[in-house]
Amino acid sequence: MIPVRCLSCGKVVSAYFEEYKKRTDEGEDPKEVLEDLGINKYCCRRMFISHVEVW
Amino acid sequence: MDIAIKSKEEDRITLVIEGVDVPFINAIRRICMMEVPTMAIEELGIFKNDSRVFDEVLAHRLGLVPIKTDLESIIPRDECDCDDHCPKCSVTLLLKEKGPKTVYSGDLNSQDAKITPVHDTIPLLKLRGDEEVELEAIAQLGTGLEHAKWQPTTVAAYKYYPEITIDTEKCEACADCASECPRGVLEFDEKENKILVVDPENCSMCKTCVKDCEMEAITVEGRDDKFIFQLESDGSLKPEEVISAACDILAAKSQKIIEFTEGES
Ligand SMILES: [Zn+2]
Ligand SMILES: [Zn+2]
Repeated sequence: MIPVRCLSCGKVVSAYFEEYKKRTDEGEDPKEVLEDLGINKYCCRRMFISHVEVW
Repeated sequence: MDIAIKSKEEDRITLVIEGVDVPFINAIRRICMMEVPTMAIEELGIFKNDSRVFDEVLAHRLGLVPIKTDLESIIPRDECDCDDHCPKCSVTLLLKEKGPKTVYSGDLNSQDAKITPVHDTIPLLKLRGDEEVELEAIAQLGTGLEHAKWQPTTVAAYKYYPEITIDTEKCEACADCASECPRGVLEFDEKENKILVVDPENCSMCKTCVKDCEMEAITVEGRDDKFIFQLESDGSLKPEEVISAACDILAAKSQKIIEFTEGES
């Protein structure tokens, strides 16, 4: 499960992860989805693009 | 002191502050991060947890969930005259779920309708089959000094107000600086055949343009009496509430010093 907050800045990232996952799985560009969700800092963005949901 | 709002969104505010110095603005910044209280879950009674998430991990995840805070209506727990905890100093959140499902922060049942988690979609744990979870969480006020979960800010930063000057006598309008600037601060005006500073506030003072200018016509400096102050909150308080609470805390501290010195003389 994705960490509740960004490890660097503390912004809540987990609340948006499922929407991010769903939209990128449907073929949307991750960059555009992140911008749309208001995830603008690179510390938070790496939380999304590097996370693998294992269970 | 002169303050202007550069931009304002739901969870983010950018101010341009003129006529202050570094120690003052840094005091505000540090109080915003470390001393403005917010609500967070501090105590947990776990009655049942069948999931594969350990109790400690679950407790940690719950602690990090930001909770809407009303600084007027709630007092710190150690200043309350109750024995343990009461509705004046804390809020109880209940969770009772049965699988199979993912349990979200929105499933937390707050006993106070106004004090609820900011987000409803934070996944807390996953329940497989007919696994169950039942717990009682107590949220209370605290500060970032004690634990980062009580920090109201996710960004609290300032930068010197950039000042970019172009010496038109030296400039040969090669436009190298405009194409090299990573932030689009400079622009080449072909009609006038000169370099324009179009977006100085976006300048990060990397000085790429200064290094690229063979004629040494550009200088980039920061003013030490004017700042761009940016604050992003985690949602527990509005960004403007964070700043005004920080100013109140600083004023109360100054007042203590005034009272002390007056008592001494
Ligand atoms: Zn971050
Ligand atoms: Zn109490």
